[in-house]
Amino acid sequence: MLTVVTVVLAAVVLAVLAVGMGYVLGWANRKFHVAVDPKVEALLGAMPGANCGGCGYVGCSEYAEALARGEAGVTLCAPGGVSTAEQLADIMGIEVDQACPYRAVLHCSAYEHQRLQRREYFGERTCGAANLVGGTQGCAYGCLGFGDCELVCDYDAIEMVDGLCIIDYEKCVGCGACVRACPRNIISMIPFKADRMLVVVCANKDNAREVKEVCEVGCSGCALCARKGPELFSMDGGLPIIDYEAYTPDHPDLEIAREKCPKKTLVFMGKPAEPESF
Amino acid sequence: MTTRSSFPGGVHPAAHKALAAEAATEVLPTPDEIHVPLVQHLGAPCKPGVEPRAEVALGDELGNSDAFVSAPIHASISGTVGKLTAVTLPNGCRVRAIPVKASDEQPLSGQDLFDDIFGGPWPTGRFEQYEPKQIVDACRAGGLVGLGGAAFPTHVKLVRNEKRPIDTLLINGCECEPYLTADDRLMVEAPAPVVTGALLAQRATGAESVKICIEDNKPKALESLRRVAGAAGVEVLAVKTKYPQGGERQLVAAVLKREVPIGGLPLDVGAVVVNVGTAAALARAVLRGKPLTHRIVTVTGAGIRRPRNLLVPIGAAYRLLIDYCGGVTEDAARIVSGGPMMGFTLGNLDTPVTKGTSGVTVLTHDEVRKAKETACVRCGRCVDVCPVHLVPTKIALASKAGDLDLAQRYCIAGCIECGCCAYVCPASVPLVQLIRLGKVLLQKAASAKKN
Repeated sequence: MLTVVTVVLAAVVLAVLAVGMGYVLGWANRKFHVAVDPKVEALLGAMPGANCGGCGYVGCSEYAEALARGEAGVTLCAPGGVSTAEQLADIMGIEVDQACPYRAVLHCSAYEHQRLQRREYFGERTCGAANLVGGTQGCAYGCLGFGDCELVCDYDAIEMVDGLCIIDYEKCVGCGACVRACPRNIISMIPFKADRMLVVVCANKDNAREVKEVCEVGCSGCALCARKGPELFSMDGGLPIIDYEAYTPDHPDLEIAREKCPKKTLVFMGKPAEPESF
Repeated sequence: MTTRSSFPGGVHPAAHKALAAEAATEVLPTPDEIHVPLVQHLGAPCKPGVEPRAEVALGDELGNSDAFVSAPIHASISGTVGKLTAVTLPNGCRVRAIPVKASDEQPLSGQDLFDDIFGGPWPTGRFEQYEPKQIVDACRAGGLVGLGGAAFPTHVKLVRNEKRPIDTLLINGCECEPYLTADDRLMVEAPAPVVTGALLAQRATGAESVKICIEDNKPKALESLRRVAGAAGVEVLAVKTKYPQGGERQLVAAVLKREVPIGGLPLDVGAVVVNVGTAAALARAVLRGKPLTHRIVTVTGAGIRRPRNLLVPIGAAYRLLIDYCGGVTEDAARIVSGGPMMGFTLGNLDTPVTKGTSGVTVLTHDEVRKAKETACVRCGRCVDVCPVHLVPTKIALASKAGDLDLAQRYCIAGCIECGCCAYVCPASVPLVQLIRLGKVLLQKAASAKKN
């Protein structure tokens, strides 16, 4: 008998409490309501939610807010790529203009044994630290090979192979973390107008003799590419620069320059990493 | 013997000075080619002032800059200017350099050159016939920078500032870095220009007193300078032999018992510190109008066949110095520009000697520490020896982890990078390198914020 009374009593008390609390919550919800732009939530929903910071904002929600305020473009989300840009443009009710993804490329192609004048190094094994003591090798421009970029890559897209940073374009989303981490500033973001893009894989601006002293594969600055394809290639000291604004994937100069390059420092990078025929 | 004044902390590394201390300065034969870097100092780089194929004579200006904190560069041999090239300095900086090919006719070489640079007469006195500005201008025109290693432009130090009067001028002859004996030899062989330079610097800064400070492990230098300085009324002070006694903060602390604030200069506590080599070059620049073209470099270490002190034209390759001293021995393992505490390992012997080069130390396999880095055991030895009262291990670990806020809380900016902490570390943690990394990351973060 007593048990039945206890159970009923407890149920009644709890029911009254629940109804009371419900009213309090309902009142608080109206009283303290913060108006959130429904667009922000929709935009946030369309993003991959990686919080990588590649767009330049602190996390996805800040980017979404900036987007909703109309302060940011819809193409900044690197992990999302083209499909996300289209979705974001849809929500914002604007047209997306030919978004082409940016990806990181390394301007060095020398594996450890190809970088000359190497010396014993007992210091801290990071690129940032090695760069402070004149590095560990003759080339003052090239990859140091301790993998600071590998460490900061959230997408596991960088692997150090024999002291050289190799980027996996199946995984790279273009967040730019490696660009900021590299103390030698030899990783840059370029617009991938095709799956495979031509890249100058050397950063040494010195003359041919000096390059040869420190590297087996570095660019000799012969300027053959600039002579064969002046529309796309120009020289900056002993190094060619590719004009990615004018770059089109089917430009005839690309293949000519690549074939003529005596040091093979013009290389197609992207996916697939090793095409079967070229 | 009375207790010599000194600073807290510091270490006593094996000095190894005997290797070259008795070797009288020899003049390096005129090299066939020199490469004069456009940056040899702290401050703005020079702009080249000569065209390729131009003929230059010893002492002609090769480049200059409009910036206040900068110093012009000069030809240290007579010859023909070549095409602008680039060289990698020992600290890893890639800088542009002007090559000069020697002509057959060199105005001065051998002993004549030594006499021209350090030979008398060197007058003493209060030099009231010189206006302070005149002396400062002569320093700038002569391309004078601190020859102790930091290469801070001398004219910037000597300019009078009404708000911060200077009461004491310290002439730094400590040379606390192990192995090096270049300043020691200068003081023994040519004390007169050092004293004259000290008096001129005193006139420029308006300091009431001038003290020449020498570590007490150099009795000959002390005796030689006392002989000359005594007559001129300049005090010569023996300070305790301890590393880094030659750091300007440590010297000010030891002699004047004043602490230079972090981020400040000795100027902030009424003192100016000038290296003995700089003082000698200053005397020559002011009294004779001759620029800084040569400096004494110690080539030493167990890995070099004949340790020597050489008078070297600035821009000569390290290779020439080492060849002149008989080359390296079979067990040589590492060639260091400067001394073992603060020097940089040289990768390329074609690197030119700059104004800040005080020595070349060749270490053997036995001397190079090859111990592998292990985890910090929190022994606190680095804290005991830090001359600026920091906790090096905390700063280094914070830098390594990229926690810049923590590094700043432990006052990373106060580190003078003397290397005492890394020297005593039983775990072989590269403390100084990590702290320098932290400083670079901080700079990067600050400039990113600005943009």
